[in-house]
Parts: sequence; C-alpha cells; structure tokens
Amino acid sequence: MKQTSHQFAANVARALAEPTLKIALDRTTTLLRTRRAKVIDEFAEYAQARDTAEKIKDHTLDNLGHYLRQFEENALASGARVYWAETPADARKIVTDICKSENAKTATRVKSMLGEEIGIAEALTDAGVERIETDLAEHIIQLAGDPPSHIVMPAMHKTQEQVAELFAQKHKEPSTEQDVTSLVGSARRELRSKFMNADISISGANFLIAETGSFVTVTNEGNAELTTTPPNTHIVTVGIEKMVPSLKHAAVFLRLLSRAAIGTEITQYTTFFNGPKRAGDRDGPENLHIVLVDNHRSDMLSDFLRPMLRCIRCGACMNHCPVYAAVGGHAYGAVYPGPMGSVLTPAMTGMKGTKDLPNACTLNGRCKEVCPVNIPLPDMLRSLRARQFEQDMPSGMSKWGLRAWAMLATRPALYRLGTAASNMALRMMARGRGKITSVPLAGGWTRTRDLPQPEAGTFMQQYKNGRR
Amino acid sequence: MSRDALLAKIDRANAGRGSDDVKAAADALIAEPDRYRVTFQAMPLFDRFVAKATSETVTATVESLDGLAHLPAAVSAYMAAKDLGKRLALQPRASLTSLDWTGFETVDTAHMNEPLALTFADAAIAETGSLVFQTAADAPVLLNFLPLHHLAVVRRSSILPHMEDVFDHFGTGATDQTRSLNIITGTSGTADIEAKNVRGAHGPRFMHIYCIAD
Repeated sequence: MKQTSHQFAANVARALAEPTLKIALDRTTTLLRTRRAKVIDEFAEYAQARDTAEKIKDHTLDNLGHYLRQFEENALASGARVYWAETPADARKIVTDICKSENAKTATRVKSMLGEEIGIAEALTDAGVERIETDLAEHIIQLAGDPPSHIVMPAMHKTQEQVAELFAQKHKEPSTEQDVTSLVGSARRELRSKFMNADISISGANFLIAETGSFVTVTNEGNAELTTTPPNTHIVTVGIEKMVPSLKHAAVFLRLLSRAAIGTEITQYTTFFNGPKRAGDRDGPENLHIVLVDNHRSDMLSDFLRPMLRCIRCGACMNHCPVYAAVGGHAYGAVYPGPMGSVLTPAMTGMKGTKDLPNACTLNGRCKEVCPVNIPLPDMLRSLRARQFEQDMPSGMSKWGLRAWAMLATRPALYRLGTAASNMALRMMARGRGKITSVPLAGGWTRTRDLPQPEAGTFMQQYKNGRR
Repeated sequence: MSRDALLAKIDRANAGRGSDDVKAAADALIAEPDRYRVTFQAMPLFDRFVAKATSETVTATVESLDGLAHLPAAVSAYMAAKDLGKRLALQPRASLTSLDWTGFETVDTAHMNEPLALTFADAAIAETGSLVFQTAADAPVLLNFLPLHHLAVVRRSSILPHMEDVFDHFGTGATDQTRSLNIITGTSGTADIEAKNVRGAHGPRFMHIYCIAD
C-alpha cells in the first residue's frame, strides 16, 4: 500500500466527514472490547500469564541470535528452505523469484500483516501472479480495492450494508439475502474452488518455534490450512521477532492472543507446521519456503523501541484507543494503525513523513493497560515526540507555543493569573448552561463536541481555600 | 545484508544481554505453569472437555459411545437426522476402516464440497474443548477442513488437561513432529463483518464429537 502518514491531518478530516465509518467503528470496537473484558475477567491467572509472556519475549529478544540459528537449523532439517531478507524489497524479490521458478499463475494468500508490510501484492503483480485473498476480511477489501484498516479485522471500516452491496456486484453467485450468514456463505462459494486450484500459497506466521523449527498460524475461518495444503508450494513470510523458544512457550502466548484480539479463549484453528509433505503423506505442499524478514527490527533491538518487538499483533491497543475509534485505521496512512502502528511506522519507515503519528495520542494509557505483553506504548510515543523535538521536527507554531507555555509555567504568579483569567472567561462563555459550544480559536475542537463549564476557581484557588 | 551480517548485527545489539545457559533460562520461565494458565482441578477432565466443546463459542456437539463398534450406527443416525444421504468421507485409518460400514458409500478423500467426513482425533484438550490431529499417511489434513459436517472420534482416555500436555505426549523435540499438528476448537467461524459471529466460514459449519469410553 502507498503510505500516506505525511498527510495525517487531511486523512483525519476525510475520516471524520465519513458518516458510515463512525457507525462501522462503533459497532465493531464496542463488541470487541466487551468480549475481551469478559474473557479476561474469567481468566484468574491473567496477570501472571501476561507477566510470563513479557518475560519470555524479553528473554527471546535477549538471545535472538541464538534462537534464529536454532530455528534455521531445525527448519532446514525438517526439509524447509530458509531465506533472510533485510528489507521489504529483498523479501519481495525472494517471493517473486520462487513464483517465477515455479511458473505460478495464481497464489492464494492467508492474511498476514508482515505480508502487507513487505508489499506482497506488489511482488505478486511483478511476478505476473493472480493474488487471491482467502481471509474473509481481506477478500472484502481486495474486492473493494481498499487497504486494511485494522491488523486483526482489516475490513473494520465496512458496514454490513456496504459488504452486501460489494458482494452483489462482484460475486458470481451472490446471495439474495443481506444478513451476515448469507454474506459469509456467498464468500465461501466464491473462494472454494480457488483454494483447491492455486499454484502457490502464501502465509505469515504468528509464532516461530526455535526448538522444533516449526511455525504457527491461528485463524478462526480455517483458511490457513485450506490455503496452504493443496498447492505444491507454500511460502511463509515472517518477522524475526515472532520467535519463541519452544512449543510450551508458544502455549503461553496462544492463551493471551485470542483473548486480547477477539475475546475468545482460543482461536478455532491453531496449526503447527513442520516442513513440507513427508513420505506417505496424502496431502500437503512438496516445497516449503520460510522467509525471515528484518525490516529495521534489528535496529529496534538497540533502541528505546526494543519493547515493541514483544508485540504479538492482537490489535487490542487499537480497539481501546479513543483516537482510533474516532478516525479509523486508514487515517494513519500506514500498514499498522493505532497505537502500535504509531510506534512501528516511524521505526520501520523513518521519522520523516510520520511525525503526526506519535502526536495523535491522548496519553490516556488504555493501550498499555490492555496490551497482553505489557508494551509501554504511551512511554514510547512520548519518547518519539522527544526525538522529534531533538531532530527539530515540530512546526514553528508548536515550538512557539511550547516556548510560550514554558515561559508561563516557570513564572508561578503569572501562571496563576493566566489560569484564573481563563477560568473566569470560560465560565462567562458557558452562561450558566454548564457547557460551552464555541471557543474563539478552538472552533475545530468544538465543532463535534461541547466543552464542559469549569469549576468556580482554579485548582490553586480551591487548594488555598482548603477545599482539597 | 546477508544472513551472517544480520546475525552479527543482532549479536552486537544484544552484547551483554544473552543468558549463559539459554535453555535453562527459558525453562525457568515456564517452570510453574499452573500459575499462568487456567486451572480446573476440581472438575473431571471429561466434564470440562464437554462443557467447553459444547459452549457458545466452540459450538460442537458431543455424544458418548461405549465402544468403537457402536460408531457406524451412531454416524448413520446423525446422517439420517440431517438428511445427508449415504456418502461418507472416511479417514483411511485402520481403527475406522476396520469397522462395519455396510450401507454407507465410503470414500477416503474429500472433494471440494464434501458434505461429511469422519476422522480420528489423536488427543483432546480439556482446558479449551479442542481436538488435536497429527498428520500421517493415514491422516491427511483436508478431511478435517473441507466437509460441511465434521464428525470426529476421540478416546476418552486421550483427553489431556492442557496444550502443554499434548506437547509432552507427542514429544517436544524437532524430530518428534509430524508435518502438521492441527488443534481444532469447534467449527469454522468469522467475525469479519461488524464483529458478528457466524459459522461455516470456509471450514466445517458443524462439528459432532464421539467420545469413546475405554
């Protein structure tokens, strides 16, 4: 996808003006938050599980070189081929070369954000291969020509009504009914023969297991297994941070991932893959290619962004982010939206052109609270802002504003006078109605909401009066 | 950058961080699994498995049978109740093929729109109500994914408490693994349209589990 993070403000304006987007986001994020809260409440050992997961990831990252070598050795022994890609372009070239050497015409794909990150669609176009997305949400956005707007539910920006309209136009045998069950049935009919007849399958992986050379996929639809079993060749593209030491370590994360992502105890399908088809096996690919992708992950290892490499891509941070809920995923203009994306996008694509992302955050802290591996997202976003300031990136206006604030904040008497005056002014503007519908110079803020009337007296005035 | 250069860069970034005994350090982190996983000591494994497998989120149905010999009659009853005809995709595994399937039209591979398949699960997980399938010459993958109705057989004695127990049972080393290990928890579902849960996305819409007493 074409990154548009540099025009974040314009993206946001467009998103806020889109009436159905707010409906789609509200319907989905509300359900996801409710389901997650319930299933976490029922998991009495959750705090300990989260702590264990954090420690396992930190241990794995501390010994990443060891585990990558161990994984490679075991994967090779299982009959897989292993490739190393420093950049998205390297990864695309590896995929393109495999497709060409197999003379592939069609490729079925299992949703993977890493695939989006390296531009797998572009790689397949270059190789002259027809790409068939099999995950329902990816199928929807492929038909609509949209980029993904969420890392777990890429079609979150679409309402049921919009999907019904899309399928009616694009499917060979669309359903006459518009309920969700009928829509899912229509996609099932459309994709069935494509699963069976593709030349190549391409997936990502949720985990790499060093001790066995296995990789793991989780889905609810069962499309990973249906996609990767019939074709002769299976290509896996995966980030090097997906490593865990052993099968039992993976179990710790499998308990957390599905709970955090969609509010269930486990996904319907969890599959551990170990090499290509064995002698005597009746199905499975003859060739298995595993592409290990860096794309700045090794840079993040020696940076304050290191804890971000714990991320297991559950999407809970975006489901609980008030900014995401208001503007949706497309506004971020990058593969990874929401809080985790606002950290990853600058790390992977540079500080330039992404400077609005770390600032599109209220620092309310919900993202860290719900993160199943305890990533300090607000701290990292704050550190990215500091780095922007060091690199002299903020605009003249915001630097002027910060300097003005610093001048006030270091002069207590002046500061108190200023806050007392603005408190009085705001109370006058409220005219006793308890709310303020417009404020000079803040028309943009009050267009979609009211400002509450402040209490009588500033904090310092109340404090002095002993009304603590 | 080559493999070696990337690994060297990673090693440099991690200088001074690595564990002396990596395996011991990794094992120590998961030494007390009951502290971080769901526990249900008070509940018998079978009861927990059934409760989870038949829950609202897993949506399987469970039937207990006294022995494998009762399987053909039970499958026949299921097919009659659902009006599924006589065709049965049967996993080519001796414990199943040796039963008396007179009256069925059995096949050993599933076609694209297979209505029904019967397969043997190698284990089950009580914690989550999941079934575990290892691939083998007589256990292909697609029989568990293509049919609309997935009928699965599992011995009551192979219900294990947790996923970790499955790994212990089959082996945790590289050479212990078959091509794939599928942990299947109920029916194929999706929540990709407005997070509304719907069944039968690409895989089976129905799962019926026969628990065999042994």
